[in-house]
Amino acid sequence: MMRWRIAEDYAAVVIFRLLLAAIILFLIVPIGVAVILSFDDREFIGAFPPTRFSLRWYRAFLQNPNYLDGLVVSLKLGLAATMISIVAGAGAAIALAESQWRGRDVVETLFLSPKFVPTVVIGFSILGFASAIHVFDAFTRLVMGHVVITIPFTVRATLASLVGIPRSLGEAAVSLGATPWRAFVDITLPLARTGIIAGGLMAFVLSFDEVAVSLFLTDAFTQTLPIALVAEMRANLNLTVAAISTVLATLSVIIVLILDCAAGLDNVIGRGMYRG
Amino acid sequence: MSALQRALLAPGLLILVGLVIAPIALMAVESFRPFVGGRVGAAGGWTFENYTELIAPAYAFYFWDTFRIGFIVSAAAVGLSTPLAWQAARTRLRIVRVSIFGLLISLLFLSLIAKLYAIQMTWGPSGPLAFFGALIGVPVRSPGYAEVLVFIGLLHFVLPLAALMLIGTFQNINPRLEEAASSLGAPRWRVAMSVTLPLALPGLLSTFMIVFAMCISNFVVPLILGRGVILFTTNLMYTRFSDVANYPSGAAIGVIMLVLSCSMVYAIAGMARRVAQGRG
Repeated sequence: MMRWRIAEDYAAVVIFRLLLAAIILFLIVPIGVAVILSFDDREFIGAFPPTRFSLRWYRAFLQNPNYLDGLVVSLKLGLAATMISIVAGAGAAIALAESQWRGRDVVETLFLSPKFVPTVVIGFSILGFASAIHVFDAFTRLVMGHVVITIPFTVRATLASLVGIPRSLGEAAVSLGATPWRAFVDITLPLARTGIIAGGLMAFVLSFDEVAVSLFLTDAFTQTLPIALVAEMRANLNLTVAAISTVLATLSVIIVLILDCAAGLDNVIGRGMYRG
Repeated sequence: MSALQRALLAPGLLILVGLVIAPIALMAVESFRPFVGGRVGAAGGWTFENYTELIAPAYAFYFWDTFRIGFIVSAAAVGLSTPLAWQAARTRLRIVRVSIFGLLISLLFLSLIAKLYAIQMTWGPSGPLAFFGALIGVPVRSPGYAEVLVFIGLLHFVLPLAALMLIGTFQNINPRLEEAASSLGAPRWRVAMSVTLPLALPGLLSTFMIVFAMCISNFVVPLILGRGVILFTTNLMYTRFSDVANYPSGAAIGVIMLVLSCSMVYAIAGMARRVAQGRG
């Protein structure tokens, strides 16, 4: 009986480990393939694996004005949208966290709601609205769209960082003679700092990778990097995209390493209630 | 409410009203306008035609594809992220835990386009895993393989998110319960099936719903991997606008998608509330 149970447990563990390995491979292998292909020396996309290696696709990336212009637009757009959504979102979150009035919860839900609106709907509706109010500049339209998709993240991250901080701290400062503005700058803002930074980071990453909203709002002269990449991938597959993907993958690993050094990944996720 | 709070709230409210509410209201109005070829913007008169024409089988098909693929992918994502999440939540080794976190978060930060490109190059016609198509009886070069690619792409996109959500679920199940079942003689698979899974059920369900909502509102995956064979409602909406310049019809699809996604969120919130009450 006992021996049977040990065999059963052993089989269960083996099957579980195999499944786990398969899932991790499913997630990692494609990224690895793209990274290896980005160093391929061949002119065309041939059988995997490549036989000779070079940096030609990285040079192609650096020499292609389409991608570089796209990169510049994406960076500018990401920064603009992030700044606006930090000012508007973090401000709103602080005001919401510090006050209790009727309808407060409704306003909070409204601020988080763009997250649940399909991104195509956001792009489509802003396009119609922009033409109705005679905004035809692509960059302005893009900023409008990207602010909408990023604002729930700055609001939410700031709100989360203010949970559990007693409102009385700011009130104490005011009763000791500080102006409300001074209390805001010296007390509330520093307390909300981690949330504001985290929300801003998420907002930038989200904006930098956005396709659906941008596709509606770009024009022939103002293209973001993702839009240029999508156009390239739909027209013909070439390995420049592999080089760019590798750069992006490296960046995301660097972000995670910084996150781990700064806060510890364990703390970012939380350990749950049954673990010390 | 103090003057300062009002000043802090104002820019956000302005953005909400100006960039979310007004555009969507305008879109809703447009969806009842008749389509006049070649013009964007208001034409005279009102009509329901933009909605009624979507019931035609040719269009209903897009909705069916979207929901069918979304459902299968969500089920697969919950099923496959469970072992990963459980392992991360229960392991005694810090290195295993942090490695799984690192993998999932890096994937979350990685550009979706880079991921889809990687999948195309790996599972596509010239990729090292192209034999998979023949294995399941859908040759790589056949049109049916587009659906396989969309499936793989969506799964790769939502799996890390599902796993991160489920890690929270498993962390909040008391491991003592599993240990107790074990020490009373239950083999491991029985512990998993009759103790862990039932306790995790609310978390599994809400993860499924969130992942499902993300799948059916996805746009990029079918755009890039669907080869024009698999189109989601989101892609249909874009084509209505970009190819035929039929703004009212696109607006009607947008309104339907908005209603669907709102009801989904409402259902998720309701479920979460019931679970919270059941525990409280």
